[in-house]
Amino acid sequence: MAKLNRRTLLGGSLAATLAAPAVNAQGGKPYNGVTINASCFQTTYYEYLKNYFPQFQEKTGIKVNFTMQAFPVYNQRTDLELSTKGSAMDVCNVTFIYSGRWIGAGWMTPLDPFFKDAKYTPADWDPDDFVSGAQSAMKNAKGETFAFTHEAGAMLNIASRYDLIEKAGLKMPETFDDLVKVCDAIDGKDGVKAFVADKLHHWNWIPYLMGNGGSVFKAPPENLTPTFASPEGVAAAEWYANLLMKYGPDGQLSYSDDQAMRAQMSGRANMRTQAITWGVPLVKDATSKVAATTRFALMPAGPKGNFPGSNSHGLGIPAGSKKKEAAWEFIKWAFSKETMNMIVEKHGYPSVCRTSVIKSPKFKEVMTLNGQDVAALYLEVLQLGGKTGYMKYRTVPVFPQVGDKINRAIDKIATKQQAAPEAMKQAQTEAVQDLQKAGFKVDP
Amino acid sequence: MAPSLAVLAVVTLLPSLYLLVTSFTPLNLTRPETQWDFSQPLISYGQLLQDERLANSVWVQVKLSFWTVTLQLLIGVALALLLNVKSKLLEALRTVFLIPMVLPPIVVAIIWKVIYTPDISPMHQALAAMGWNVPALITDPQWALTSIIIADTWEWFPFTMLMVLAALQMLPQELLDAAKVDGASPWQLTRHVTLPFIQGVLLVAGLFRLIDSIKAFPLIYILTDGGPGSLTEVTNYYSFQQAFNFSYLGFSSAITVVLLAATILLSWIIIRSVGWGTKID
Repeated sequence: MAKLNRRTLLGGSLAATLAAPAVNAQGGKPYNGVTINASCFQTTYYEYLKNYFPQFQEKTGIKVNFTMQAFPVYNQRTDLELSTKGSAMDVCNVTFIYSGRWIGAGWMTPLDPFFKDAKYTPADWDPDDFVSGAQSAMKNAKGETFAFTHEAGAMLNIASRYDLIEKAGLKMPETFDDLVKVCDAIDGKDGVKAFVADKLHHWNWIPYLMGNGGSVFKAPPENLTPTFASPEGVAAAEWYANLLMKYGPDGQLSYSDDQAMRAQMSGRANMRTQAITWGVPLVKDATSKVAATTRFALMPAGPKGNFPGSNSHGLGIPAGSKKKEAAWEFIKWAFSKETMNMIVEKHGYPSVCRTSVIKSPKFKEVMTLNGQDVAALYLEVLQLGGKTGYMKYRTVPVFPQVGDKINRAIDKIATKQQAAPEAMKQAQTEAVQDLQKAGFKVDP
Repeated sequence: MAPSLAVLAVVTLLPSLYLLVTSFTPLNLTRPETQWDFSQPLISYGQLLQDERLANSVWVQVKLSFWTVTLQLLIGVALALLLNVKSKLLEALRTVFLIPMVLPPIVVAIIWKVIYTPDISPMHQALAAMGWNVPALITDPQWALTSIIIADTWEWFPFTMLMVLAALQMLPQELLDAAKVDGASPWQLTRHVTLPFIQGVLLVAGLFRLIDSIKAFPLIYILTDGGPGSLTEVTNYYSFQQAFNFSYLGFSSAITVVLLAATILLSWIIIRSVGWGTKID
């Protein structure tokens, strides 16, 4: 008989530990003892969802470490982490403006082998139920899917004090000219500034650029020659900078998304053209002082049309993850029809990407805000983005660099450091240099 | 000795060497093939010369370093001279003055973010109550860099104060007594005895602050993000953006190599021109 000593005992324990998953699998929890690390920027979907993680663990045995950071911090950290192809993250948010870069560089795992295989995913999970416009940013040129979307941003015009607009005998602006007219009429009334925006000009300004007939790139994604310093671009930049400085609260050039929302919520600023996610809390949040006076409308149109921003963010699996199957289990659960319906019903989450949820009576009920069918507006914007593909500029791999140049140029114009033509020309020159640095060819 | 040299080489020299090597490649994290691409070793350095934003960041850096180091030295020395008296109250005050320096830099940045944000700022509220409507300093082109200089000076003048105070306490009483017997006025005592005595300490403190000012980061990251426009974008911050926002590691390494060389050169010039201190006979 073998002699029982410390080494034998340790070896026995190790063998038992390694064998544990197999034993547990027989108990119906194939992933018992598995912990996955997931990460996203701060967003309400996961604020709500994390309350149900214990249920997910109970069902699958998988423990989820979910961390959230501010938007720029998350993007920066994840960009670096993904580039190392390390295994620190098993699930991560694929941010819209980084999707082309992360997917194109091979840093994400194709999900097709998971959602197309009945072994991993039942047919009623229905991947085709996700809004195609939202999903398009999560695919590569071959059509492989790298993430499923949890948030679709649809830019609307959100007025926190519609009563002031009505009092001035006006209605929600439908054109850029109307917007200025309304701002002129209501600015400073009741101590409320007429307009507010956060500092992410490369998201907020582009609809005004396009509405004016301009574009960021010549023909994305094929031709990435920057074109935003065109006469249309210069005029749009000057117009927008004036809108910010004339009608916005002091200091808004440093506002984050949340700060701009708080300015509206506290009744210090009125209109904002931004994604619906930042508008719904004006009505739903318990601390809002403008719940009864908030109104939504489509983004005003420019002389060349209406181009409201739309985007999407999804969860994917980093290429370096060593727990891909468990990671898929989490994504599958987090975005199932049941889970999404529950989050809408219990928390009023507005930015879902499953068509069946968006068309459900419950979603319509939740998104009827102050008697207004906001769900219909939401769907209209998402469809607008999908029809002509005008949002393609945003998912090219070099957009973060180019967007930075736009941000700084608008800042310079707004603070009168430079006139619009010089600021835009300089930004475009820098953007060309950056594209060349990244190995892209641009037109002479 | 050999093991310690090996440790030094691994800890200090190898990363620096890697930085130097990387600066000769166009390393871009989204293009792994660029990692060991030495086909155009000077391409990043060539790009540095054409980069107007980099040139602007160097000028911003010069202004920031000049004002922060000067103000920190002046305020630090003045307060150290005032506090160099044996008194329990003043000893307690010394501790209070040290608080900004021991706070984590991010906390300091958040404190100043609150102070500079008009919606929530007690400073803005107080000034408004007195009828002064001050613009948002961190987004005003006239004030953005000044607001960083004020916050940085507040954070780091205690360092100079602490070093000078320590030096002052080493000042031999006999020197002061002898000067007094010769009829020196308080100003003459400061000018001819105290200041020459602490000159070496001032140089060291100034050098530390200069090097630290070149590494300025948290205040800029939290308060202005280099803006409005590029008004508060120093070279260090620009390099960070190139590496971690845009993945241009080769280009960022080239900036860092030049910055490192400039810092070493500048320190050498200062030491050579000022010397390590004057002996008092």
